Amino acid sequence: MKAYIVGTGMSVPEGVVTNEEIAERLGLEASQIFKSSGIRRRRWAERGTTTSSLGSAALGLALENARLEKQDVDYLLFGTMTPDRFIPGSAPSVQKSLGLGEIPCLDIRGTCCNALYGLQLARALVDSGTARNVAICLAEIQSAWLDLSPASGTTSMLFGDGASALIVSGESRDASLEIIDILLATDGSFVDDLGIRCPGTEFGTTRAGESDAEQAIDYNPRMVGQSVILNASRKITAACQTVLKRHELSPDTVRWMVPHQANANLLAHVARGLRFPTESGGVVTVLEDYGNTSSASMGMALDTLRRSGRIEAGDYLLLPAFGAGFTWGAGLCRA
Amino acid sequence: MALPQGVTDFLNQSAESAGVEQPKSGDDLFRSGVLDSFALIDFVAVLEEECGIKVSDADVNPANFQTIETIEKYVESRKG
Repeated sequence: MKAYIVGTGMSVPEGVVTNEEIAERLGLEASQIFKSSGIRRRRWAERGTTTSSLGSAALGLALENARLEKQDVDYLLFGTMTPDRFIPGSAPSVQKSLGLGEIPCLDIRGTCCNALYGLQLARALVDSGTARNVAICLAEIQSAWLDLSPASGTTSMLFGDGASALIVSGESRDASLEIIDILLATDGSFVDDLGIRCPGTEFGTTRAGESDAEQAIDYNPRMVGQSVILNASRKITAACQTVLKRHELSPDTVRWMVPHQANANLLAHVARGLRFPTESGGVVTVLEDYGNTSSASMGMALDTLRRSGRIEAGDYLLLPAFGAGFTWGAGLCRA
Repeated sequence: MALPQGVTDFLNQSAESAGVEQPKSGDDLFRSGVLDSFALIDFVAVLEEECGIKVSDADVNPANFQTIETIEKYVESRKG
């Protein structure tokens, strides 16, 4: 059975934080932040805002967009790296707040590839007949985890808060996107190059006092920039090429690239590496206004594109992503 | 072994663009500003072309490209 993305939605917190507002604290110049990332501003939630509440808002809009009722959803996936609680996952909170039925609710931890993992699982659930309409919530409140000191400036400048949601169904309708293929891969040799170590069983579950700086940094995001960019550039390009080859397509037959919104310079490198034509459609980016919203970013870009009305019947969309793990992949959809 | 002229030219041009001194053998290319994350992507492509080697995914590690010395050692190991 075929599977289609039939609805999308997004939600962001109200608080806009510009480069100028954080540059000095991060030990950077505002212009340097934009030049090295393509980001001008991001949204940061007020303390107390939960990740699931942002996800619920996005899912409400996606259901409206799909013209589906809450009771039509028979499976919920929730992708995040910044859950409401350590246990349980955030999906049950969305189930309760939106008043969904007593359906399976599963959190996924595929980092910045969560949208692709969600789509791959949703497609399989629809294809197997396990579910008719799968809701995928993708949300992050990353601002609460950031170290806003110069020591972490080049990492913390990137991240924003936000949520998106996708509805995957076995029945197509107006403006739906057929999920043609999802490729995903992982190389666990790089677990320490991107991520947050604690809390966990490997490095500890109790936050140390201020004096134990060595352990305290294990609670902050860590990123080996050179390794991340180099690997991302290679793996994303290769994943896109593999997916296109599997379907006997070339980059110039794809109208839209809707990537995980990591960094504008990285996306430009990938587009150049693929010789992806930008004049007939191009690389969809929301980085400038929202920064890197990790799990949520690809869905936010896709929702922005769908609502712009610029997708035409028959258009191919390529969806590449790369995240902590390292894990990476690419999806292919057709309007 | 000395690196091919094309590789040295790339590093020198990168240093010039960054407004820093041309790198010497043991200089940290990242700390000195000669290479950044994005220049590294292009540098690896130049290295592969100029030295006739393939930098495998397992070797895509910034430590291999930290200094001219480590780059020379890496290229030698790939050719040997």
